[in-house]
Amino acid sequence: MFIQDLKNDFYRHLVGKRILIIVNYDIDAICASKILQALFQYDHMLYTVVPIMGITGLRRAYGEHQGDVKYVLLVNCGGCVDIVELLQPAEDVTFFICDAHRPLDVCNIYSDRQVCILGDAALEENIPAFETIFHDSDEEDDDQDQSDEEDEEEVHNDSGAGDSDGDEDSAQRPAVRPKLTRLERHEQRILRQRARRQWESERDRIMFEYTQFSYYGRSTALLIFELAWKLSKDNMDLLWWAIVGISEQLLLGKIESGAYTLELEQIQSHVSRLTNKTNDQNTMSASKISFENDLHLVLYRHWPVTDSMRYSRYASCQLKLWTLRGEKRLHELLLEMGLPLVHARQTYSSMDLVLRKEFYSMVERLAEKYDIPDIVYGTFTLSYGYRSRYAAADYVYALLAIMESVKKHKTPEDCFMEASDALNRQHKQLLGAGIDNAKLLHAAIFRQVQSSLEARQVHSAGSFFYYVLQEEHAFFSYPYALGLLAKFILRGHVATSRARAAPDLPLIATCPLDATQGMCLLVGIAPVREDSPKNFFGKAFEQAAQKSKTTLLQDFFEPSVVQLRQSDLTRFLDALTVLLT
Amino acid sequence: MSRENKLFGDKAFELLKDLERSSQTIPAFDDDGVRQVLEEIKAIFEENVAQASSYNSSGDRSLWPLLNYRHAALQRNKRCLLAYLYERSKRIKALRWEFGPIIPGDIKQALCEPEVQFFNNYSKSLAAYMCIAGCSQGQGIDLTNNLRPPKSLYIEVRCMEDYGKFELDDGELIHLKKNSQHYLPRAQVESLVRQGILQHIA
Repeated sequence: MFIQDLKNDFYRHLVGKRILIIVNYDIDAICASKILQALFQYDHMLYTVVPIMGITGLRRAYGEHQGDVKYVLLVNCGGCVDIVELLQPAEDVTFFICDAHRPLDVCNIYSDRQVCILGDAALEENIPAFETIFHDSDEEDDDQDQSDEEDEEEVHNDSGAGDSDGDEDSAQRPAVRPKLTRLERHEQRILRQRARRQWESERDRIMFEYTQFSYYGRSTALLIFELAWKLSKDNMDLLWWAIVGISEQLLLGKIESGAYTLELEQIQSHVSRLTNKTNDQNTMSASKISFENDLHLVLYRHWPVTDSMRYSRYASCQLKLWTLRGEKRLHELLLEMGLPLVHARQTYSSMDLVLRKEFYSMVERLAEKYDIPDIVYGTFTLSYGYRSRYAAADYVYALLAIMESVKKHKTPEDCFMEASDALNRQHKQLLGAGIDNAKLLHAAIFRQVQSSLEARQVHSAGSFFYYVLQEEHAFFSYPYALGLLAKFILRGHVATSRARAAPDLPLIATCPLDATQGMCLLVGIAPVREDSPKNFFGKAFEQAAQKSKTTLLQDFFEPSVVQLRQSDLTRFLDALTVLLT
Repeated sequence: MSRENKLFGDKAFELLKDLERSSQTIPAFDDDGVRQVLEEIKAIFEENVAQASSYNSSGDRSLWPLLNYRHAALQRNKRCLLAYLYERSKRIKALRWEFGPIIPGDIKQALCEPEVQFFNNYSKSLAAYMCIAGCSQGQGIDLTNNLRPPKSLYIEVRCMEDYGKFELDDGELIHLKKNSQHYLPRAQVESLVRQGILQHIA
């Protein structure tokens, strides 16, 4: 069931009740949960926030709180699985789901009371109609009874075997069914069975088409922010969190840039409204969000320009910066920009003020010439105080690095909490540490890409590329980091490959997860040429696992990220090759 | 430093400065310093007594300013000592509000015997007052709670260790598990925060 009027059907409904908020491990979800927490605090509603990773985590978290809570809110998780079947909740428990993952599970959509999905049904794409996928099993029983009764009362024969036309007619209009012979009844039953089989295969087809691609819908953080806005409880901080949420979707390639641009306009109006509302806008130190065109360069405000260029996926792959020629081209670019090497090699913030002011326009001017036109995009920056100035992308990369900085003494939950703390402006040092971590991560990705491409470790299996990381790695054993690495490698490989089909092929990257258990992480990346971020690997992985009889752990809410036993890997990839050709 | 260079009252001043400078809640009672100041007072007094008696007998007015000066120094020393004791007693009172009726061991070492007694007496009278203060409601009020009015009735807390089920006054059961975050009534979870099971998130 979809809830469109969040204010009345969701929020008003919950006021004064206790609620369990289960949050998935992604930045959009963290931002959304922060906004929700702020809202609930305004209204003094008791809540409990539990971060979870994957479906097992969801089941465990619910199991622990079962019986205590009547309202459960799932943030960016659970939309794609049948919640009622998974958790077996008591009758009086209500689930609210706000999930950016698509496609939503049909059972959730058609649940009439227990599961409520926050969002607009009109925005969802091709949800199968109810009749086409659900069959009323009672109806069938009735049919059976009826035919049994008919069996009992022996009736006179009509005219031998009825012709098929008449039978089909009567099957379509059961109400005016005449008395039939046994033979006819038999025929009818067979016809009914056939119709049912047809309907079933049709249903399977529809369901396959519906679930074939996994993709992402609107940012949850933005959705929740709009709720805050409608409740007139929005402020700068909440808006900034929503912006970070949607920026994550863009930067991790979860949504198309077109969809992002459409949302920008709305966010801009929110920004200007809130800026005008606060009356201390004239003071320099007040927090301020501003919209501006920015560059797709990783953390360039906190890094030397050359490093940032090299470690950014887009710029690096267009200019092939991991090669010697690429390096020369970069120098050429810097020369033409008029940016002295001395300045380009020191931290951005220590660059000459004049150069810093002109940096954006210099790059933009030369973007066409150096074949990096998409480097410009519209984004928001947050500035507060005299020194702190962050782009939304900086936040996203920093949080990502914090979330995946799991170490021995730091559990994933600690990282989650740290990431959600880092969103608060009071915890600036956390964000700073996150940015430093993000730098390490990106530098590591670049080095890995460079060495892999030089050693030609990306192999082609005909219909897809695959890339196998042999050793456990401090950075890449986590889904997002591996995803970033895989995207970089695929782009880099396509940029250097001579094969014409290369841009149309997807990539599968794996990395050992835990040496002791022998599991590895598998990520599927959509082809470079494909602009839409729809990913078919979820379904493909499932089928390949069935064919090769390997056990696949599809625990993550991203279906294109799975876990697999290391020893099964070759068998699995073979099956996938057969499946995709 | 030779004795002659020292001014009267230097030691007493040093005593106060030490107290002021120290970063601990209460530095150890400076027995030595206090004794030295007392000795200085005594020495000054004796010199004054000797000269005053000679003045009485001879009537030599030339000693007059010196006598006055010594007396002022003596008074100053006394004031410094009193200030030292007063400041300490003030801190000891604050201790009672902060830590409750039992002094933590490390702080107890820093106190001298009369000070411990003072603490106990203070504690007793406070307890007696708290008993009376809440008499109309039947029981006493713990005045040491909420020294400042709380900003809100609820606080955001993060669970630091697995605690299990926790029941609120209204019967709501809450499962406290490590790394979960809750928004709960301040009054009811305060003790858990003190125990370190929950952490208050500002």
